[in-house]
Amino acid sequence: MEAIEYFEVECPEETGRNYYRRIADVVLLDHNLLRVIQKLHISIDPRVPLFIAVGITRKLPGVIRVRDFANVNTQDQKTTISIADETYLAPFLKILWERFGGDRVLQPDRFTIILSIAAADAEGIEDIPVIDPSESLYKDLIYALQVIQPEGFKVRRQYYGRGRFYLVASEDTLPEDIEDLVREKFALMGEQL
Amino acid sequence: MNLVPVTYKGGIYRHDVIVDLIEDLGGYIIQKHVIAQEVVLQALVPREDIDLIARIGKPLTGEITPSPLVGTEIAVVTMSLEIHHLPHASCDVAEYIRRFGAKTNMVGLARGFGKRIAQLNDEERDVINEHDLAVFLLGNFETCIEQKFPVLRRGIHVPIIVLGGPSTETLKRIIDPPVDGYVGNVGRFMHRTKESEELDKLEEVADEITRVLDAQRDEIAKDPPSVSPARLMDVINDQLDDIHEVLSPTPITVQMTGLRVKLPYDRYAGVLKELAIEGKVTIGDVADILPSRMRDYILVRIKPFSETNIMV
Repeated sequence: MEAIEYFEVECPEETGRNYYRRIADVVLLDHNLLRVIQKLHISIDPRVPLFIAVGITRKLPGVIRVRDFANVNTQDQKTTISIADETYLAPFLKILWERFGGDRVLQPDRFTIILSIAAADAEGIEDIPVIDPSESLYKDLIYALQVIQPEGFKVRRQYYGRGRFYLVASEDTLPEDIEDLVREKFALMGEQL
Repeated sequence: MNLVPVTYKGGIYRHDVIVDLIEDLGGYIIQKHVIAQEVVLQALVPREDIDLIARIGKPLTGEITPSPLVGTEIAVVTMSLEIHHLPHASCDVAEYIRRFGAKTNMVGLARGFGKRIAQLNDEERDVINEHDLAVFLLGNFETCIEQKFPVLRRGIHVPIIVLGGPSTETLKRIIDPPVDGYVGNVGRFMHRTKESEELDKLEEVADEITRVLDAQRDEIAKDPPSVSPARLMDVINDQLDDIHEVLSPTPITVQMTGLRVKLPYDRYAGVLKELAIEGKVTIGDVADILPSRMRDYILVRIKPFSETNIMV
């Protein structure tokens, strides 16, 4: 886990701690989240039982616009878009259909889109936002933490915002002072909630 | 005649020679897999004829290896069927002991997770009890294992082997009354077992299972079943044509003192009972034909010699 600045697992049982360190490592790697997380502190107490994961994320990549993955070439009544990276093609086509109508969007091959529109309408196509990667990140992050946590911890509280996130889980009702506990864990990393 | 469990692996070309040979020698073929150009036979063969089979199999690129678990059905009990336990470690363990010839079934508990909320329902209990042995895959925390395991073992009378994250010594200390076998340091993990030390651990699991089942076999030998399960399988295969229509990999699963016949109980229990094994002795005379809790299968439990006074 070189990519993460701070990574600690806290647990009263040593074997359990080592296991969960490995589990967290593998799960975050499998979900491609190692590059996203800057600091992570996991605390498990099987006696209570309580699972707390707190962390902060790195600065996320910005919104992907059309110019990031395609070239736009406008002539009179015809605009040709050549796609360099297919990854974002599907959501991009959807946007074009909505904006110009399906019959004016032609796709003769995988890497070319031809729009039968006036040159004036074609202005600003390059700046259309296609995807915001941070949107799905929250879901992915919480999902990964749920996979890491011991199974059966069905009572959960989760939070994400301003680059900070936490997930608290237990099989019993969560204690009332849970926010204080979370703040304590953030303090251990030298951060604030 | 002392039958020993073995696996024969060889080319598919002329493998029927080996099949005939094993049958002529008085052995039984428990399972036959044909995988592309290769055939894998799991069989019980007379100990003194192993060399003969190896000699005849050699030109057919066949090799014969001992498989201590052939002819046993093992339940691998996992606490749930969620991503937390599958495919690693549950499948890794189930798959690894299959290599030693065991027929493993995975039993995923509906509510096996959690320290306080773990429970075992009657169907799960009965299904586990239909096997020769149950391998329980528990988690990483000794606090949890100590509290939940008494609940999970309630009503289970087959030998139990416990696998868990804490060391073997810790498992022995916290489980009371003791179970038949323990393997520590195999808890919940999320990666594939491929490093040599992890494979050694799986090897240890297989050894522990073999040890427990050998002890069980010694116990059974004191009052042996009235007919060998493998022989009973042969009888059913010969006389009941419908069994060949069953598409399961093992239409008849051989256990240590019984069989699981994968035909509907309602229609076939009567037929099965009447099948003659030898002379006038029928299956009904030497075995109980019971409905299995697994689908609508039939469970045949062979009665011991002391109960029937028949040995066929």
